[in-house]
Amino acid sequence: MSALLELAGIGISFGGLRAVDDLSFTVGEGQIVALIGPNGAGKTTVFNMITGVYRPNGGKILWYNHDITGFAPHRIARLGIMRTFQTIRLFSDMSVFENVRAGCHLRTRQHWWQGLAGLPSQRREEAEIADRTSDILKRLDLETVADERAIALPYGVQRRVELARTLIANPKLVILDEPAAGLNDRESAKLNETIFGIRDSGITVLLVEHDMNVVMNVTDHIVVINFGRKIAEGNAATIRNNQQVIEAYLGRDDDETEEAA
Amino acid sequence: MMRRTLPTAAIGAVLWAGCLALPIFLDSAWISIAAIFAIYAIVALSQDVVLGRAGLYDMGHAVYFGIGAYATAVLNVGFGWPILATLPVAIVGAALVGAVFAAPIIRLRGDYLLVATIGLNAIFVLAMRNDLGGLTGGSDGIPGLGVPSLFGLQIESQSALFWFDWVLLGVVLLVMRNLDRCELGRALRYLKQDQLAASTLGVDARRTKILAFALGAGLAGLAGTLFAVQISTVSPSSFVFTESVTLFAIVIVGGQGSIPGVLLGTALMFVVPQIFREFAQYRYFIFGIAMIAVMVLRPQGLWPRARLAR
Repeated sequence: MSALLELAGIGISFGGLRAVDDLSFTVGEGQIVALIGPNGAGKTTVFNMITGVYRPNGGKILWYNHDITGFAPHRIARLGIMRTFQTIRLFSDMSVFENVRAGCHLRTRQHWWQGLAGLPSQRREEAEIADRTSDILKRLDLETVADERAIALPYGVQRRVELARTLIANPKLVILDEPAAGLNDRESAKLNETIFGIRDSGITVLLVEHDMNVVMNVTDHIVVINFGRKIAEGNAATIRNNQQVIEAYLGRDDDETEEAA
Repeated sequence: MMRRTLPTAAIGAVLWAGCLALPIFLDSAWISIAAIFAIYAIVALSQDVVLGRAGLYDMGHAVYFGIGAYATAVLNVGFGWPILATLPVAIVGAALVGAVFAAPIIRLRGDYLLVATIGLNAIFVLAMRNDLGGLTGGSDGIPGLGVPSLFGLQIESQSALFWFDWVLLGVVLLVMRNLDRCELGRALRYLKQDQLAASTLGVDARRTKILAFALGAGLAGLAGTLFAVQISTVSPSSFVFTESVTLFAIVIVGGQGSIPGVLLGTALMFVVPQIFREFAQYRYFIFGIAMIAVMVLRPQGLWPRARLAR
């Protein structure tokens, strides 16, 4: 299994706070990898560095062994890395259909002037985009709400819309930031299937999740961080029995806690 | 699909075609008012590309209108170019200035960008007043423009100029409608609503916004040529900061990103005052009250953009 994404000692500081420090791990092609840790451990910050929202001030991020550290978000997207957000970021003024179609941006071939002129080739592409959008809406069970305003829908549905928006781009890697947050039990159980489905369609998955039902059941590999540093790494069974992980989550007595790092 | 937008577009096309017959019914004063409306409608639509669609606070848009007008006046009066030959120069020149100006400041936050565009407007007016390069004629501007000629026909009468302006308005309306239905137009909306989300989907914010600026400026440049021809003289006072504010307000009051809204706003600003000519000095007073009322009661504009269209 070859390394798709590799973090090599990345770190970032905000003011005096070292939010992530010397973090290294590898995501292999076709894997489902989880990044877990207590609240405030720096998980979303890691995602923001991978996707170019933050520029790390130490270490390297490698994609197929090429250095992509500090690339702007749209260049990261162009490589085939797509993400969702912990706080769902759908376009508030748009329908579900329009939101999902937005994921087609990188797959469109039309030039701006072709669009302004409304040339036949551009109109054809528009029809293809619409078809592709309808297909993915069907696949993720969203066709009945296609014309609804996306942000007016229940949380679980919004998460699916955001997921559809990334999948339609046909990425190589999707990064899911707490995909189970705000889901009810039924939706959360279904999420596992969805994640397996994504992997089976040839897309590698990296996720942050608190829901241990999801983390323990779907992942091939788990990376645990606390206070911005890696404290453990391994498969579900290893992590479940790791003393440091248990302490990070359940806490230790008094002021010994900082030793955990 | 398009079930919501198609009827509006069809009605718009019919209305536009109907308006082409206006010169048959109107006296010459009203024909020229209708022609001026078409010109300002193009400028307002071009402002809408930048402000309403891309969400960029451009309060110096009269500059690009002015560049178009001056390009035509200088080349026609100073160098004897035919009017129609100056048209591409006006469009491309304004678009280039827009792109070059926008490139370094485009990542500024809304309020900072707004101040920068005001600065550009001030510099432009000052440069024109000071007879830039001995070409722009100072405060009096450049008088005595010729008329366009097409296939040997002089577009000279009020009616002919009206048709000239309205045909080009039709072209611009078509472009604006196409903008709503192409990836560029959508990318602008993504950026306006959530730049981070748009970027992570692969939208190149900088390039797309500069393109919007250039497109808006180019269309304003086109309107500048029409304006110069219509009043046959070009002077700095037509492109001052208050003109930019008016254009800005037309888009906000009419409805951002809404073609009918922007046309309605333009009509309120430039046609309605002519109907109540005896109250003309109250134009800004009335429009000012309308601005306040709309912002309080109907912040999305008089005729907001249709939502949830496919």
